[in-house]
Amino acid sequence: MAGIWIFAESREQTLELISAGTSLARQLDGAAVVTFATSRQLAEEYISCGAGEVLVLPPLAGGQPLEAYVPAIIEAVRGGDPDIFLISATQRGREIAARVAAALDTGLCSGCTALKLDKEKKQLIMERMLYGGAAVQTVVCSGRPQMATIPPRTFEPAAPQEGRQGKITELAGVQPSPVKVVGRAPKAAEAVDITEAKVVVCAGRGFEKKEDLNLAQELAQVTGGAVGCTRPVAEELRWLPEDLYIGISGKKVKPGLYIGLGVAGQIQHVTGMRDSKVVLAVNRDENAPIFDAADYGIVGDLYDVVPKLIKELRIALNK
Amino acid sequence: MLKIIACFKWVIDEQDIRVDQKSRELIMERVGYKISDYDRNAIEEAVRQQEAHGGSVVAVTVGPPGARQSLKDALSRGPERAWFISDPSFAALEPSQTAAILAEAIKTKGEFDLIICGEGSSDLYAQQVGPALAQRLGIPCATYVNKVTLEPGEKKLTAERKLDDGIETVSIQLPALITVLPDINTPRIPSLKQVLGAAKKPVEEIKKSDLGQDFQPRLETISILGATMERRRLKYSAEAADIKAVVDALLKEGVIA
Repeated sequence: MAGIWIFAESREQTLELISAGTSLARQLDGAAVVTFATSRQLAEEYISCGAGEVLVLPPLAGGQPLEAYVPAIIEAVRGGDPDIFLISATQRGREIAARVAAALDTGLCSGCTALKLDKEKKQLIMERMLYGGAAVQTVVCSGRPQMATIPPRTFEPAAPQEGRQGKITELAGVQPSPVKVVGRAPKAAEAVDITEAKVVVCAGRGFEKKEDLNLAQELAQVTGGAVGCTRPVAEELRWLPEDLYIGISGKKVKPGLYIGLGVAGQIQHVTGMRDSKVVLAVNRDENAPIFDAADYGIVGDLYDVVPKLIKELRIALNK
Repeated sequence: MLKIIACFKWVIDEQDIRVDQKSRELIMERVGYKISDYDRNAIEEAVRQQEAHGGSVVAVTVGPPGARQSLKDALSRGPERAWFISDPSFAALEPSQTAAILAEAIKTKGEFDLIICGEGSSDLYAQQVGPALAQRLGIPCATYVNKVTLEPGEKKLTAERKLDDGIETVSIQLPALITVLPDINTPRIPSLKQVLGAAKKPVEEIKKSDLGQDFQPRLETISILGATMERRRLKYSAEAADIKAVVDALLKEGVIA
């Protein structure tokens, strides 16, 4: 069966990886793209979007986590012997990928941010971040299949094409996992999704107390943006929900404008905002590393600068 | 009695890395080392569970001989002994090797009830070693654990996993492995007495020859280059005229409207 295999937690992420997989398949002389699905209906959609074959996993019994599919995935991969196996780098996806790679004794590039193919060697050349984002590591996998987990939204989702045909294979029953789910508490939806905001105002440790975050809120209102924060503001001070911290292990944002207020610019944070189009930083320490990651840096106390900035923005934007 | 293994990694402190702006080469002179950030939480959680339920905690690391200096730091945080799995070839291991080495060493040492790993290492952050180790040992695992409750009498644990879409609570029979998130606890800061006491705690060395395998990498690094960012790095003062200049520039960029 060989080809390029895909597993992702959600439909959206599967479509993104189908898009990555079909572009690799073209360079591999039309290798097959094989995707896992959790229902026949999804399988049909994946075929219309570019998959050549879809392996349908049986439904999980109640109280089973998604990770219960691991043994079934391992068995299918052993039988199918793919060249490449791409998995979406969600939390569950990362565990599943690590366990599949360990069982098959192959290499896995975690959190792969770019990939290209060496056509002659039929080898994937994969990039990922290292040292909290300070460096980029380029790796190749010497085992088989070549495996990578790919963060959601790295690729555009594949779109349906008319009249595509493919094969649907139903996989046999799944053994119950020894990990039993005894409770689920869905997270309350956040009012603002900072990954979607056009402007992100980020609060750092330069704020002296929680109430002062109103300054960041006001700046966000004027610019039509959303407030985010650095990890210590969320995890140590607990001034803002953990959903709002930006960094390598938090949210990755790529707004048109990122404004860092009292943000020092630790590498782990910068990794979460480095794709912003324009970066403005306010910090009273002129040697703060954030200024190296900024287009516009204002050296000054945020308590002095932000009100002036808000005033000037109101004039400029007629607000 | 509960037997807990806490895994940790001795890593370069990424704050000390400098990048040569022209060649993008990493300048590693004068870098310091530390226990990987997330692994401090792993050690702390192991020690807290032992304090609550009794039993023993062993801290385990894999690395080149130079990583020996990590042991005192790890032991000052509470475990009563350590295993040092070391070989000159164990520098710059990739995650599948680390997991395979840990699995072999743990198999040779015998029994355990619970293995605790950090969510990822602060250098590679591949987040593979915990689940890959569980897979190699054939034991169940729970990743991204925010809270764990042990019931040693029933040989089971309940763990809360903090996931993107909410909290999932799972129940697992021991032996098992968990990977923990930073907010599961606040690691203690060792006292001078604890630091001095750590030097007297037993360290057992496990050599590559004890494990009877070669542990070839499955992932090969072609290059490591400093991450670059094209930024203008313009600096302004807090004077009103400068702030107006910044706002004008942002308008021109078209990023505010």
